[in-house]
Amino acid sequence: MSTAHSHAPVHDDEHNPHLAHHFDTMGQQNASAKLGMWLFLATEILMFSGLFLAYFVLRMFYPEMVLEAHEYLSKTAGGINTAVLLTSSYTMALGVRSIQLGDVKKLRLYLVLTILCGCIFMVVKYFEYSAKFEHGMLPGKFYSAHLHGYEIEGLPHIFFGVYFMMTGLHGIHVAIGLAIMLWMFVRAGRGEFDKTNYVAIENTGLYWHLVDLIWIFLFPLLYLVK
Amino acid sequence: MAKVFLNGQPVEHPHESHEHVSPMTTYNAVIGALFVLTALTYAVSFANLGPASLAVAMFVALIKASLVVAYFMHLKYDDRYHLFVFLGTIIFVGIFFGFTLFDLQSRNALNDEQETFVRLRDMENAGQGLKVGVENVPERKAKVLEHIEAHGGGEHGGEHGGDHGGGHKAEAKH
Repeated sequence: MSTAHSHAPVHDDEHNPHLAHHFDTMGQQNASAKLGMWLFLATEILMFSGLFLAYFVLRMFYPEMVLEAHEYLSKTAGGINTAVLLTSSYTMALGVRSIQLGDVKKLRLYLVLTILCGCIFMVVKYFEYSAKFEHGMLPGKFYSAHLHGYEIEGLPHIFFGVYFMMTGLHGIHVAIGLAIMLWMFVRAGRGEFDKTNYVAIENTGLYWHLVDLIWIFLFPLLYLVK
Repeated sequence: MAKVFLNGQPVEHPHESHEHVSPMTTYNAVIGALFVLTALTYAVSFANLGPASLAVAMFVALIKASLVVAYFMHLKYDDRYHLFVFLGTIIFVGIFFGFTLFDLQSRNALNDEQETFVRLRDMENAGQGLKVGVENVPERKAKVLEHIEAHGGGEHGGEHGGDHGGGHKAEAKH
């Protein structure tokens, strides 16, 4: 900077223990971390888009079969999970807001609430999956629902392949998100985060919102659409 | 002190924080809207809209997604470059979807015209399409049947029908 600057916090920033030596300021460090996160989210969106495309192709070729097979998915379970996941996104956003205002205690509270919601999601998913397993509604060669007395015309084993791949990959993301939030909870407890250094929390939030975003499309496509 | 750059632009006051903190009312309004829209999708799925239902469901999902991205993910207030990364991804997803679906939709007409895959078509028309699931794996089929026999099998549909929209349908078919 050429002009003389009279901004007081200069020295605070230079001595911020969280500032890595290869960055000039916290702002620059945070912006780099966030840009990296957005690029990662871009790859995530592209990865999931392949599965969404598989769904649309299946639906294009076998519309009646998809409509019939989707009747076997529990709308109630899907609905509960949607509400739970939206709530968890809300608590996560409030967690980020808390640390923006420097309130570590509240951040930890919101992280716990978000983790709780994520756990409820996984429990509901567990019951959903076990029902599918029991009725032989499984992907590919494992499909045996017709032996259990369910007649679904067309290629239901491919529909359930798509169903398990989409919800399964999403479920893995939820599980990873839970682990990261637990890690953030521990780090927040160690006092690593404050008003100027919270980009890790923000990125955790971005990841969690993306998981929510994918579910926003998964839910109507798999469970609701007629 | 060295000049500070952010995304290729020199920063005038690098030590001032420009992070936008949304008020609680924004978050409350967004979560409220998300729940209302979810209820709407749920309700619409019971109304018989026919082919329009996919368009309606996707439109509502799009609004919900925009709310999450703009307010929860802060893209509305964030560095515009992040918005560029995000929208750039969406454009590529659009290209991916557009070209693949166009190809698959127009391929049948092309195959007919050039008389490719005629045998496959004949087989499908004669009802000799691919067999489903365990039908392809005799050992597994025998195992599943054995399991059903041992556990009273066929009544599965009845037992679990209650929590499981499909149960009744399966019974009705028998």
